[in-house]
Amino acid sequence: MSAVAVAASSLSAALARYWRSWGLWILLLIAPIGARLFVPRDDGTTIIISVGDRLPLMTSATIGACLGVVVSTLLLPAAYIYLRANTNRRQPWQIADVTPASRVAIALGRYAADLTVLAGALAALNLAGLFLGSLILPAGVNPLELSLALWVIAGPALMGLAALHRLFDALPPLRGALGDLLYFVLWITTLALPSTTTVARPSFAGNMADPGGFVRPLVHGAGLSEPDFTIGGAEVKPGRTPVDTLGGIASPGYLPSRAAWCGIALLVAALSGLVYRPREAPRRRRLAPRLTRWLEPGAPPPADPGSSPARLLARPEAGLLFGEARLIGRGRLFKLLALAVAIGGAFVHDLKLALSAALLPLVFALTAHAGRSEGGLRNLTRLAPLPLWARRLAFVAAAAGWTTALTLPHALVQASPGTAGLAAAFGAAAGALAITIAATSRSAFAPRILLLIAWYAFSAS
Amino acid sequence: MLALDQVSKRYGRKLVLDRVEQSFAPGLTLLTGPSGAGKSTLLRLLATAEAPSGGRICWNGVALPRARTALRRALGYAPQAVDLPEDLTAREFGLHMAALKGLDAREADRQFLALADAVGLHADANNRIATYSGGMRRRLVLVQALLGRPALLALDEPTAELDRDSADRVSALIVSRAREAVVVMTTHLADALAPRAAAVLRVTDGKVLPA
Repeated sequence: MSAVAVAASSLSAALARYWRSWGLWILLLIAPIGARLFVPRDDGTTIIISVGDRLPLMTSATIGACLGVVVSTLLLPAAYIYLRANTNRRQPWQIADVTPASRVAIALGRYAADLTVLAGALAALNLAGLFLGSLILPAGVNPLELSLALWVIAGPALMGLAALHRLFDALPPLRGALGDLLYFVLWITTLALPSTTTVARPSFAGNMADPGGFVRPLVHGAGLSEPDFTIGGAEVKPGRTPVDTLGGIASPGYLPSRAAWCGIALLVAALSGLVYRPREAPRRRRLAPRLTRWLEPGAPPPADPGSSPARLLARPEAGLLFGEARLIGRGRLFKLLALAVAIGGAFVHDLKLALSAALLPLVFALTAHAGRSEGGLRNLTRLAPLPLWARRLAFVAAAAGWTTALTLPHALVQASPGTAGLAAAFGAAAGALAITIAATSRSAFAPRILLLIAWYAFSAS
Repeated sequence: MLALDQVSKRYGRKLVLDRVEQSFAPGLTLLTGPSGAGKSTLLRLLATAEAPSGGRICWNGVALPRARTALRRALGYAPQAVDLPEDLTAREFGLHMAALKGLDAREADRQFLALADAVGLHADANNRIATYSGGMRRRLVLVQALLGRPALLALDEPTAELDRDSADRVSALIVSRAREAVVVMTTHLADALAPRAAAVLRVTDGKVLPA
């Protein structure tokens, strides 16, 4: 049997499925929107990218570097959401796992499909950049320079994303929320890591600390000793900083570092085939088996046909609200964390810190329940006596209730009467976002990563 | 020849199969027994989807896991529940499964269309699986199991959700394959198929006994 045939079949099957998903068109649309927002313009209608407190002087290659920033900040999380939440995750593993096909070949085939999709998004970004360049560069755009800068900067980053996607999909613990959390941490780390390096002298090690790859091309030739650049709403001084983007790409250690990241990504993709574990592998309980058992939600109580109807059945709206609240707070682990956050909040003076701590476990609880109810259970729940929107409304109200409850000790001890309203508003907003995105994507992946990003933006602001 | 030597399977504290001693020769073997008795678990063990908690499974005299690849090359497996890729057509799915089994693409297509015809799916072969009914999905899973003329077939309720005509066609196809292959199958139609079966076994209380 040919491993090449297995990889080719896995590639074509995955590509056919990607091609038929509506999310692909959103991903392709994000790229040109990002290009419009991130390429610095004097009229102040873009997100500012500044180098040494000034906007960079625009050349074709510098536009390519700015589009590389679009990839690291916007396209990486969007593409991650798309790859994770896509229907391609639904594989016939029950029968595929017992075929003699090489897992490495399957992994590399699917990896190639992921790369093809990401290359499509990058091509869309490239086209948008060329169009934008033709508008803002008086001397006209050089397609080769712009494209070279973009693909050298963004290619390895996207290869890394696809490799992580394959690795997370191969390992049972990383197929769910833990994988999303880990990706979020890695993504934030890749954005923060370059600020710790020195840019005075280009080196292979220095460039390896910049997986996004945009720092050296963006600051080379600007005469900086530190990576003094800003992405976001920064105030800039008049005038433009000249940067030598192509010089940065050709500087010692840069291209080898990009090639090294490509190699690492390929190795991780192949590794994902070697470490693949089937979907229903029994959990190892050698470590603290009692604790593991205790943390599990456990079986529901046995049905008693002779029992009297629940009191809340007489008030279905109240029953729905309490039902949603109970399902959000399912499991002992969440209750333990909620208790710790609530008690800890009483000793914290800063309201934002208490609110951030309360919202973090709720991000996971809300999205998990939203994913369940809007995914597999939607066909059942839409047949319930109350309409679908009533359940969603109850979900949002329950989210507000949970956030208020978790910050209540803080409000009482710190005598902060405004806390309850603020917490309820944040909880309702998080709940509304979670249920809306889960209803659209019919999974927990997209709302989870978006809420994590929103949570980080709120906590770090 | 497939042989189980003192095979046990345990989920947590629950013992599902208890030191099963059984061999399967070419021909049709029916597994019967109440729900939850362990029939599907036994099929999963035979299909190498799970490993036994104790004992050993031998394929042509070689014990697993050493014989796992050889067994998988000879295997056709149709479990009850499969996460079918809804956005592929049945033919695309069949060809992909054939590639995973190591079949040449042209031969795989020929076999797929012939099998789809035999189970009454030919007209819908190019339709997306999302449009398939429960019975059509069941037949599609059976078709992928039969691709490559496997020497060992592990079939879990392949006639469930089928109307009588479809169930008869599927049964006839399985019986014809049992002339040359080891076919182990759970079914609610055991009474109808028993006269054509080489053996009928009853799974109950973790034991596998002649019915």
